[in-house]
Amino acid sequence: MQQKTTDELITQEMLLKIPYRWAAGEYVGEFLRELRHSGRIYANKCPKCGRFRCPPAPVCSRCHTRMEEREKWVEVGPRGTLLAFFVAEQSFLVPTTGDMLEIPFSVGVIWPDGAPVALWHKLEETNPDKIKVGMRVEAVFKPEEQRQANIFDILYFKTV
Amino acid sequence: MPQRVAIVGIGQTRHTSRRPDVNDGELINEAVSAALADAQLTMKDIETVIIGNMEFFEGHHLNDAMLVDYTGARGKSGFKMNTGGTVGTMNVISGWYNVASGLFDTCLVIGWEKHDEAPTTSCITTITDPAIDRPYAVGALSGLAIISMNYMTRTGCKVEHAAMVRAQASENASRNPNAHVRDRLSVEDILKARMVVYPLNLYFLCPTSVGACATVLASEVKANKITKKPVWIKDHVTVHSDYSGALFTFPGETRETSHMVAGRKLFQRNHITKPIREIQVFEMYDPCAFVQMSWLEDFGICGEGEGWRLVEKGVTAREGEFPVCPSGGVLCTNAIGDSGTLRVAEAALQIRGDAGEHQVTRDVKTALASGYGGSYWTDLLLLSKTLD
Repeated sequence: MQQKTTDELITQEMLLKIPYRWAAGEYVGEFLRELRHSGRIYANKCPKCGRFRCPPAPVCSRCHTRMEEREKWVEVGPRGTLLAFFVAEQSFLVPTTGDMLEIPFSVGVIWPDGAPVALWHKLEETNPDKIKVGMRVEAVFKPEEQRQANIFDILYFKTV
Repeated sequence: MPQRVAIVGIGQTRHTSRRPDVNDGELINEAVSAALADAQLTMKDIETVIIGNMEFFEGHHLNDAMLVDYTGARGKSGFKMNTGGTVGTMNVISGWYNVASGLFDTCLVIGWEKHDEAPTTSCITTITDPAIDRPYAVGALSGLAIISMNYMTRTGCKVEHAAMVRAQASENASRNPNAHVRDRLSVEDILKARMVVYPLNLYFLCPTSVGACATVLASEVKANKITKKPVWIKDHVTVHSDYSGALFTFPGETRETSHMVAGRKLFQRNHITKPIREIQVFEMYDPCAFVQMSWLEDFGICGEGEGWRLVEKGVTAREGEFPVCPSGGVLCTNAIGDSGTLRVAEAALQIRGDAGEHQVTRDVKTALASGYGGSYWTDLLLLSKTLD
């Protein structure tokens, strides 16, 4: 029989494991279909203020104006310029996979050629001494038959 | 005309990394009891109750009802808040709406978080857009790292300046008995810390804390009966940003962050032309050492590129001309849902002259408190010793 102690602090442990299924929506859905189908990255423009969004957005948050429709979307990248980056050197439990993050894990904010937009993605290079703000990078796609219409269809950006 | 609203009671728990000795309700009740005692009121005097946290840290989502034994809200009006990083300040602002509207004369505001119940970074990662950003998010750290790097690139700030910010925060926290990380750290100690997310090492980042903070708000008529030292919520603004590009600016693009808009609006409509002279203390929501400097600029306290220079000159120290976070700030204590409420509470304690060992050396008539979150929005409150 378990002994009752007065100083023991009781905690209750529990794991929440809940599967989700999110709709990508009309605009992001088309962006992801293009990643899979053509290996192209698209952005769109606000006809009023000229601001670009990537992935394309339906409405400009500044002007509350409808952004340019599908036929006017512009291709950006696959090359671009690195604006900022971080390198995770301490792991954590990734809630989307249930696994610990493989470190070092580096992510860049990339300005793809063609429009002033910011695309966050994984960098191949993980040594912070070898990553420089302003350096040129290029998207590396999965082989076409392996693409799944998600952001992982781009494997990472490599240094060029 | 809205009713004028004052803070008439303040209570907080001590802050620490783990509190396995109390459950969520018991933690909250410590702050509620302290705030009521400070106001010399009982729950009978409270008409409505606002409670807020970030629910995924504790993993239950019925806080307003489940915790009613501990909040005292049974049979009363009120609701729960859940606005991400800004929830603490939104708690107070919601309390303000309740009283300013004339619907209520007294409101209890509770902000709390118990970060010892789940891994913080895993939970915060779920704030991001699941289709595009989530695979690359490292909780709040990714955004803070990008802001920090962008700030260094734009202004020439060095890591040594971030270490100065943290050293100053640790000096302040060492004087605050309720702060979480109270070790006095030197610039050298800080620079030697292990890297968490490059360029941010352990000490450039806030801790994950357990704690709660409660305030009692009252209308003008009630406030003057309750206390001789009401602290008036003179004004406040909330500004949203959009999700894309909220964290940094393209070369050549004009910066326009939610902090910039909030500072401009608040100072303009209160006829504050030189905030650094007209405001005596700023309890900023500063979860990372670099952002404290960057956000001083964004709020319009100083010009672009001057944030790190103010720190270098000691202007932001507790004895300086413009003390920032004399409590030690979020850098030394961060129980997220409580953090914003605590910023307002600490700014109010400075106005009352009740901040004890961490009281600033200047006479405080006007104070600022801010909130910020991964919702990319800003709350900014202006507190005053007097009504006019």
